[in-house]
Amino acid sequence: MSLAGTASAKAQPSMLARLFARQELALLVCLLLVLAFFSVTVENFFSVRNLTNVLGQASLPLIAGIGCAVVFISGEVDISIGSLLATIALPLIIIMNDTNSLLLGISGALLFGLIIGLVNGYLTAYAGINSLIVTLGTMFIMRGGVYLYTGQRAIPDDASLDSFIALSDGRLFNVLPYSAVIAIVLLAAFAYVMQHRPFGRQIYAVGGNQEVARLAGYDVRRVKFICFIISALLATVAGIILAARVGSAQHTAGLNFEFQVVAATVLGGVSLAGGIGSLTGMALGVLILQFLSNGLRGLGLPTEWQLVITGMIIIAAVAFDEAKRRRANGG
Amino acid sequence: MSVDFLHPEKGAAIDTNVPALELRGIDKRFPGVVALDNVDFILEPGKIHALMGENGAGKSTLIKIIAGVYGKDAGTIRMRGREVDIKSPRDSLKEGIKVVFQEIALISEFTVAENIFLEGYPTGRAGSIDWKKIRADSAALFDRIGFNVDPSARTGSLPVSQQQMVEIARALAHEARVVVMDEPTSSLTPNEVSLLFTVIRRLAALGIAVVYVSHKLDEVFEIADTVTVLRDGRHISTRPIGEHTSDTLIQDMIGRRIDNLFPRKRGAAGSKIALSVEKLSTAKKLNDVSFEARAGEVLGFFGLMGAGRTELAKAIVGYDPITAGTITVDGSRLAPHDTRTGVKLGIGLLTEDRKSEGLMGELPVYQNASLASLGAFARLGFVDKASEHRAVQDYVDRFRIKTPSLFQQVKNLSGGNQQKVLIARWLMRGLKVIVVDEPTRGIDVGAKSEIFALIDRLAGEGLAVIMMTSEMPELLGLADRIAVMCEGRLTAIMSREEATQEKILNAAIG
Repeated sequence: MSLAGTASAKAQPSMLARLFARQELALLVCLLLVLAFFSVTVENFFSVRNLTNVLGQASLPLIAGIGCAVVFISGEVDISIGSLLATIALPLIIIMNDTNSLLLGISGALLFGLIIGLVNGYLTAYAGINSLIVTLGTMFIMRGGVYLYTGQRAIPDDASLDSFIALSDGRLFNVLPYSAVIAIVLLAAFAYVMQHRPFGRQIYAVGGNQEVARLAGYDVRRVKFICFIISALLATVAGIILAARVGSAQHTAGLNFEFQVVAATVLGGVSLAGGIGSLTGMALGVLILQFLSNGLRGLGLPTEWQLVITGMIIIAAVAFDEAKRRRANGG
Repeated sequence: MSVDFLHPEKGAAIDTNVPALELRGIDKRFPGVVALDNVDFILEPGKIHALMGENGAGKSTLIKIIAGVYGKDAGTIRMRGREVDIKSPRDSLKEGIKVVFQEIALISEFTVAENIFLEGYPTGRAGSIDWKKIRADSAALFDRIGFNVDPSARTGSLPVSQQQMVEIARALAHEARVVVMDEPTSSLTPNEVSLLFTVIRRLAALGIAVVYVSHKLDEVFEIADTVTVLRDGRHISTRPIGEHTSDTLIQDMIGRRIDNLFPRKRGAAGSKIALSVEKLSTAKKLNDVSFEARAGEVLGFFGLMGAGRTELAKAIVGYDPITAGTITVDGSRLAPHDTRTGVKLGIGLLTEDRKSEGLMGELPVYQNASLASLGAFARLGFVDKASEHRAVQDYVDRFRIKTPSLFQQVKNLSGGNQQKVLIARWLMRGLKVIVVDEPTRGIDVGAKSEIFALIDRLAGEGLAVIMMTSEMPELLGLADRIAVMCEGRLTAIMSREEATQEKILNAAIG
């Protein structure tokens, strides 16, 4: 009886199974299926105009989704981003109306976003309060603050700067919306950081196992703190684009936006438990939901049904993921 | 100068006249416990220094202070004569102190290579991580040590033994002055242990100070130059190994002589069949395993790594699914993959992996003990806390579980005491069959004999005890009958009288 040889006798997983083991590839296949289905069933779905329009719409959840995924990967959550969209529009629009300067407006918005990130990060990482509670709290505080300040009336963008309006309807080479270009650049930059910079790997390590990360000499609290700042700043960028699109600061801006982003991020395979998932996955999750919603609208399905279908897809996707992980761990 | 294991030529000669690490007057208190009391610990460069002591003697606490996991309450730490302030693992790593922890401390989603360079990624142009170098250096490191581990494997998918090798390799990936190994061999085969010893000797030859924590006396006698013994948080002795015998070392550790490590007090086993397993197979490992266990007997299962002992343990208590066969507990069939009925019928598992499968570390002692028998304390659907506490206190007293109170978080107890809490959990439930998997893993000599006495007592009270073990003395000392496994099959069952080490090993090799 030999001790060797039993391992090789075990069946190798099939090619298909191994392909699907790669999260991103499975998502890509899903996205292509969605595109194929609606290309056949919906007229004008598969046109440059429609596809680039959807990309433009997807840019907000894509940009904010980067921050959401980064915070998830660090093992925390941030649900304050929807309210943040409405909040930072106030300094943006007010400063632009007063100064006629886009740069000053954006700087003001980013400063506000930074402060919110600092607060979320400090309360979670250093004061040790659960991040769901912290960001639930700041979500209510910000939304309430915006309602109080605006008296529930929109503050219109009176400056109407060309450069600001271009953020909403400008297109690179007359094809790709600028907002989509910004999303792609940010996505590429952060995907690089997460995979190829020591700091990105530290985020994965902290989310994967906080104690191990500490033993490896990482400053766990600092890593988490920075993740919340990243999330707030990226949501600020999304908020600026949204304000440009609606041409005003609105108290209802970004209502339920955080759940749209969380849904896409989870669909993209980023685990709430931390340490698992990628920005590519998150981006594919966003695109699947966006094209699905666009296609269903093309089919004439009311929005209510879109919500129902989205909900079912998210649960199914996570259940599939869970089943796969269980099989991989041989249980 | 510190030394790089992989590139020893880069380091300068180490001054051997100054201690590499010098701890003086170290105090550490936890709520209700003095963990360390004025402890001195001095490491010479190029020497292998064993650290020994019973459960709760303070070894782990001392190592965690060196590693920066805990801060000290009093005392001084010097590196090569210079006083240092170690407040976090980061500070410790910066001083060139590398610790291989007893509990595997790896990111399971990362590849082996990434885990090895976790504390400092080599970067190339513009600060990008140099993945090529990480893979190449990891492979070179394993090559150099002689361990067979795939650097590109996902760490979580590897067996514990290989994860332990990754831990060891990680301590050698960066420049080091002091390398601490806390029970590094618990999952390694004899061959891998000898590879490790070669590495440790090489480290010492390079001038690195090595701390070796182990409960295995033979290992300590083989590898150590010096031995320091702690007992109840105090420094007892530091002597060259040559001045020690097993007896003097054990005496220093427990402060009294252990006459018999395996006190047998129980009578002969009964004739009633408590557990009957027939033609049991599982998808992954077990192949046609049949045996019976009688009330009041200890049936020992021996096997080499990967023989299928843990798999068998999990299958017969209904924890893992089976593909064929039957399990009968006290006359009733146990449906496979059903721990609920298993507990009802009276079969329970004392797991090998206390931390992840046995204990809820954050919860207090009493909740961990009463977990399986909450129904017994229920009044109108609510747990009657008073009777629950009384019952647990009873076991704490009877088993002499060392804990400041019933409300202490169980993770703060020593390994031996945690094991006793788990035994209490099952006894409270009124078991007929208890399966114990490596009952003394990570538990030291004095506490071991207490666990043995407990197992003896369990059998004496009429339980059938199924004991999975890889320790030959444990097997020969405790078991009434000995079953041997090899590659998922049962290759021999013999009575203790007819068993010899040769017979057992032959059956284990297959």
